[in-house]
Amino acid sequence: MKKRSIGVTAMALLLSFSMVLSACGGNGNSGSNANGNNSAAGAGNEEGASGNASDSTDNGGEKVSLSFWTLFDGGDGANMQTLVDEFNKTHSDIQVKNTKLAWGEYYTKLITAVGNGNGPDIGISHTSRLPDLINQGVVTDLDTTATDAGVDWNTFNQNLLDATVVDGKHYAVPIDTHPFIMYYNVKLLKDAGLLGDDGKPVMEQSADGFLNFLKTLKEKLPNKVTPFALSNANDDPYRLWWALYSQLGGNDLISDDLTVADIDKEKGIQAADYIQKLFTEGYIKKNDPDFYKNFQSGTAAIMMTGVWATGTWESTKNFEFGAMPIPKIYDQEATWGDSHTIILPTTKKEDSAKRKAAITFANWVADNGQIWAKAGHIPSKPSVLEKQEFKDMPYRSDYASVASMVKFNKPSVKTAQIRDNVSFKFLNEVWANKMTPAEAMDKMQENVQKTLDE
Amino acid sequence: MKMKKIRADIQALLFLLPFLVVYILFTLWPMVKGVEMTFYKWTLIKKMDFIGWDNYRQVLQDREVWEALWHSAIFVVLTTPTMIVLSISLALIANRKSLLQKFYRSIFFIPSVLSVAVASYLGLFVFQPYTGLVNSILHLIQLLPGDQEIFWLTETSLAWIVITLITLWWTVGFNFILHLSAIQEIPDEIYEAARLDGANNNQIFWRITLPYLTPITKTIMMLQIIASFKVFMQIYIITGGGPLDQTRPIIQLIYQTGFRKNNLGYAATMSYLLFVILLVLSALQYWINNRKGAEDR
Repeated sequence: MKKRSIGVTAMALLLSFSMVLSACGGNGNSGSNANGNNSAAGAGNEEGASGNASDSTDNGGEKVSLSFWTLFDGGDGANMQTLVDEFNKTHSDIQVKNTKLAWGEYYTKLITAVGNGNGPDIGISHTSRLPDLINQGVVTDLDTTATDAGVDWNTFNQNLLDATVVDGKHYAVPIDTHPFIMYYNVKLLKDAGLLGDDGKPVMEQSADGFLNFLKTLKEKLPNKVTPFALSNANDDPYRLWWALYSQLGGNDLISDDLTVADIDKEKGIQAADYIQKLFTEGYIKKNDPDFYKNFQSGTAAIMMTGVWATGTWESTKNFEFGAMPIPKIYDQEATWGDSHTIILPTTKKEDSAKRKAAITFANWVADNGQIWAKAGHIPSKPSVLEKQEFKDMPYRSDYASVASMVKFNKPSVKTAQIRDNVSFKFLNEVWANKMTPAEAMDKMQENVQKTLDE
Repeated sequence: MKMKKIRADIQALLFLLPFLVVYILFTLWPMVKGVEMTFYKWTLIKKMDFIGWDNYRQVLQDREVWEALWHSAIFVVLTTPTMIVLSISLALIANRKSLLQKFYRSIFFIPSVLSVAVASYLGLFVFQPYTGLVNSILHLIQLLPGDQEIFWLTETSLAWIVITLITLWWTVGFNFILHLSAIQEIPDEIYEAARLDGANNNQIFWRITLPYLTPITKTIMMLQIIASFKVFMQIYIITGGGPLDQTRPIIQLIYQTGFRKNNLGYAATMSYLLFVILLVLSALQYWINNRKGAEDR
């Protein structure tokens, strides 16, 4: 009996350990290379209404079939599907097949799939993730293909484009930017007497000006109303910090050669201190369980987050809101932002016809940014901002200028890690008032260096 | 005769084959591969360079690893004894003859059928400030002043309490069933004899019920320790390892190292460190149990 139980113990252990292992083994290569050889003859080669000279890929009437992996859900997912459908309709020689992946798993799946040769022909990447993907050999540079297909890089917003250029090579076609902006509740601002005749908030663009604005909101509005809705941890307060740090002239957390932690401590402290006060002096609700809902249900006067919220507020009934760039609290205009870009992942064998078709698609998506802007994003091509369809949409034009103010990260492979494992971690403690800004900057400096050394 | 036996063996093998193939392919082979990984710098995509014992040297000095192991150990210490006490108590309640017997059995077991995500999110809602059930009740009975809130997840010690409570609620069902069936197996004659001898309820519980439950309790304890050391999902959802990584268990660190930091080799090394620790723990427990058994006889 006893003899047997050692076997049972060992077995239980083996099984339990194998469960540990299997929990870590979720490599998804569900990506089917859309190889469906659509033999439908390319009849009626009608061109897309976008009027781009490079739209036709001349390959003898045979249809090029492309697999496209995206990470969008909700409104973004629907808009991207519309773009893909529209593109397929207007380009009879190219067929793009959209596969939606879960956003949380997307990059891991993309990296592993490309690694074993089963990646898609077209993919999506955030600008901030590009350096890492380049380093791992997941994405290819686009210069030759872009020239072939006649893509004109000058038609893009140069601030967005520059962030996708690494070592002088183009690696991605930016289709938008989704910066950190400010929203306000029109009714509550009116109640507090802070809405001007032009329908815009009355606020002096300075550190004291913004504080006074919040102070008035707090005094004039009922106790139940949150002056400033913001989450208490991770992304959004970090984005605000990044914006203020950059407004002060701070230039990322690492040196230009990407090897040394280089936080401008004085500026980092000043920015963190300013935000910490917003928390401790009660302008931001402490540990708000859902700051989106707080603003959406009309119980918060202002809020800050990415432009993607515009679509959400629009679809909220009886909700009067406005959108604007975040205030210029310090010397330089700057905010946090990232871009969605279209990339051409590395494939087993390079097929120049496919690549040409793929970049044609990418450029077309950027050209038709008015569809993509429905969710709130700012299109990557200034020409789209001039389109009537774009102008007809409210709010977007109020913050479209922000595209040139976005302060991107330097192209380090460690950007995401530094943000997730260092900045979030210590800044969260500052917002909870459990660490001083100075302590946090010291810890961040130390841990950024550690992350870079790993 | 011999032919027959061989044929029977082949037949048996054929039936075992489907499982065996899957088991070897997805369990044994990755384990072997895992050992290989520990000697390399290995990214998500491919094997990079052979680095010998570097990963092992690093893992022994890595403060983050030991902290994360310590957090897993805290979780084990918090959940194992409380689990056993709770499980026995619930089993005793459900074993009492009453109209509600069936009702008890169902409600004690029902949380176990939830998936970890559902259980964790329910827990998150319950402990949420302003609108959560717990804070609302505390306000209602005026234990907490109306203008104050308890922020359960921003204090490390409170966060541990939340994690423990949710875990207990969610996983006690299975152990409760084991204890209940063990209680029901205790022969009635023994209780009868005890009553004839004039034993009171207290004595009956401590001298009869509890000793009879010892074997199953030992088993539950071992399974519980091993399972608890592997805790990941509920903590990941509830606190994300925070505040300041103070509740981050070792599995979360392994996951982050492998899939976020793109360093599978080092993650595999940590996994094997955990493996060795669990092996030692189990051996220790086996040895202790065995010695006690010998003394009893």
